Amino acid sequence: MLKVTMEMLLKTAALFIIWLILSGTSHPFNVGLGLVASFVVAWLNSGHADSPFRLVPALRMLWYLPWLFGRIVQSSLHLTALILHPALPIAPTLIYYRTRLQSQAAIVLLGNSITLTPGTITGEVNEQELVVHALDEESGHDLTTRRLEQKIAHVFQEQTSSE
Amino acid sequence: MSALAIALILAGLFFLVVAAIGMLRLPDVFTRCHALSLTDSLGAFLVLAGLAVYQGFSLNLLKILVVLMLIYLLNPVIAHATIRAALRSGLRPWRRESP
Repeated sequence: MLKVTMEMLLKTAALFIIWLILSGTSHPFNVGLGLVASFVVAWLNSGHADSPFRLVPALRMLWYLPWLFGRIVQSSLHLTALILHPALPIAPTLIYYRTRLQSQAAIVLLGNSITLTPGTITGEVNEQELVVHALDEESGHDLTTRRLEQKIAHVFQEQTSSE
Repeated sequence: MSALAIALILAGLFFLVVAAIGMLRLPDVFTRCHALSLTDSLGAFLVLAGLAVYQGFSLNLLKILVVLMLIYLLNPVIAHATIRAALRSGLRPWRRESP
């Protein structure tokens, strides 16, 4: 029997909003088709394990994202200067970074933030160790000073200070 | 309004060109991936922002926001997958020869 859960309804709503934006018509047939299609897709995608992002604190996240965007712009400019420099002064390194973050969602956010920032890319994630490729020392600066980690710890209200 | 749009799009194109130069100048797959991440972080962002300004408030503005969100979600995934594949296949990062 079809069991409708709250999660399915939320997924349906999210898909339906995207449908409305992309289709851009209010024709009843179109809207009805979108509603049915959104529900079927949400139904087919139900029953997976719980997403680690279920407990993301949305408000502090909204505070974090503009900060991250500022860092992205700064390191983009740094990267531009590196690429256009005649001597190409790069010094690529692999950083083996051990994070003190605990929850899966926080580590996912850390890895994604690292990759999103130009100049650093996450290669591997094993439990709490991240393998990060950095283009030069300054690119990995936010990481090695643990500044990025502290911001994310603040979003999830975790402790990172060494005991 | 359209002057601002043109300025934004030109700035975006500048970063796209820099990313292309980076793809040619940088030595290996790891460093080239960094150049790639420049395209989405500023290049595509500025171009799409310029288009959004040019459009004004309409349905197309929402579509542009959806595209931007998708780019910011997908590009790190691609960069990460490339780097991980390179690491797992045993490639070592390029290093400057010590004199």
